[in-house]
Amino acid sequence: MSGVEPVIEARDVFKIFVARADRGRQRAFLALQHVNLTITPGRFVSFVGPSGCGKSTLLNMIAGLVRPTEGEVMYKGRPVTSVNTEVGYITQDDNLLPWRTLQENVEVALEFRGVLEAERRERAARYIAMVGLNGFEHHYPHELSGGMRKRTALIRTLIYEPSVVLMDEPFGPLDAQTRVILQDELLRVWEGSGKTIAFVTHDLVEAIALSDEIVLFSRAPGTIKRVYQVPIDRPRDVFHIHAHPQFPAFYDRLWRDLKDEIAEIALGAT
Amino acid sequence: MDIAHLAARAAEAPDSPGQRLLRRVEAEELQRQHIVQRNTALGRVAFGITLLASWELASGPILDQFFVSKPSHIAAALWDMLVKETLLYHLQFTILEAVSGYLIGAGGGLVLGFVLARLDLVYRIVEPFVVAFYGIPRIALAPLFILWFGIGITSKIAVAAILVFFIVFINTIAGIRSAPTQFLQIARVMGASEWDLVRKVVFPAATPFIIAALQITVPQAMIGAIVGEFISSNRGVGHLISRAAGFLDTAGLFAGIFALLVVVLAMNQGITVLGNYLMRWNPKHGTVRDVS
Repeated sequence: MSGVEPVIEARDVFKIFVARADRGRQRAFLALQHVNLTITPGRFVSFVGPSGCGKSTLLNMIAGLVRPTEGEVMYKGRPVTSVNTEVGYITQDDNLLPWRTLQENVEVALEFRGVLEAERRERAARYIAMVGLNGFEHHYPHELSGGMRKRTALIRTLIYEPSVVLMDEPFGPLDAQTRVILQDELLRVWEGSGKTIAFVTHDLVEAIALSDEIVLFSRAPGTIKRVYQVPIDRPRDVFHIHAHPQFPAFYDRLWRDLKDEIAEIALGAT
Repeated sequence: MDIAHLAARAAEAPDSPGQRLLRRVEAEELQRQHIVQRNTALGRVAFGITLLASWELASGPILDQFFVSKPSHIAAALWDMLVKETLLYHLQFTILEAVSGYLIGAGGGLVLGFVLARLDLVYRIVEPFVVAFYGIPRIALAPLFILWFGIGITSKIAVAAILVFFIVFINTIAGIRSAPTQFLQIARVMGASEWDLVRKVVFPAATPFIIAALQITVPQAMIGAIVGEFISSNRGVGHLISRAAGFLDTAGLFAGIFALLVVVLAMNQGITVLGNYLMRWNPKHGTVRDVS
């Protein structure tokens, strides 16, 4: 590419999973094939595609939780061979520890990294203020609303300042209003931070509203069908993204390409 | 609406009609809880008195006093045992056996459960043996332990420990397996070491299971000590009870049982306090009620 060193690179990646099928027989299936992808630093990249196409598997490979069966996933020029502690991972479930207060949950990664208490307090306070959770520091997760829990999960990851953040349908379980509000907060936290984000979603509007690039996966066995540059300037207004002049045509094109993949599953056609 | 939202609203405008209503409902709720607590306490006392009074009155006219004794006689027998110092003398052995057995069994169950749950292959190998061993009525081992360890307190400690051990052991394994697997992965990405994971994720996740096991096994430890004493001993409350039965002294027998009851309740209270502290994060401790 244009001389910029990619932060994440997939080189002809294949992944085979072995699942236990009926009557105890082992059954292997191909999840990903011929996946080639380059992500340059500072980009917001969304992965979209039909369910089960291997989008989350690719995130897991970047995090070093899953290894490719063939091919290589590179992080900053080196193949990922063990857990990649330079990235942050945010899942669909908030995975807050129920026995820790909001503040203790936010500090957990810093504890793992051996940051001293005074600095943990100071950094946690800064991030808690950033997403407007002041006053709730000593609440337990079950005392928080869904949106507050999600904000906590977000800053719990951002607090250790990973240069790459992997997000697997992070706003999936939220109601429609909270989701748009959080998308807006995410963009404001991200813009100017220089962080790279790899974001899995099923929501095309979300993908367009947030991303610089959209990577469309085919149905399983997943491969990358196409990469799109989102033709909308920043800063974005996620609340009115559908009113942007470029939006309808781009959305239609994306949807037409995705529909082919879904329709073939739905109809069982060739 | 959760309590956090209520608190956030309360900070906004202290004098709006909504805020006044909120404060009134809060005051009423406190009042209501107070009444429930008071009624519960009064009801318990009344129930206990009724129970003892009907026992006292029924014993003789309706029930044969020889078999059921009566509370006044039991109290007299207890007093008698106290002043002659036989009760405390025997009680100290029983408590020593039950508490030592409890600590050994619970400690062993915890440690072995932790180790085994983390060694997948070893666990797979020994699991059927553990289940089989769990299946035998362990109290049937008591005579064997007396054969092995003699009629002193060691054999009673062993019986109490084996009763406690398996329940704590199996619950510890179940608790550790309940640790949130997805978070364990995320924590590794966050840079957690194995020791971090055990200390900060696995152990807290297992505490509800472990606390439940520690509570269930308090009476088990006492059962172990008493059964051991029944089989063969010359001291301990079990010995006192079986001797009273030998003399057809039902009042003395009930007095022994009552003494055991007090000890078990005290032990249970200790575990409950510990459990409430360790589980203060649990939603079931102090839930938010919907106010309609």
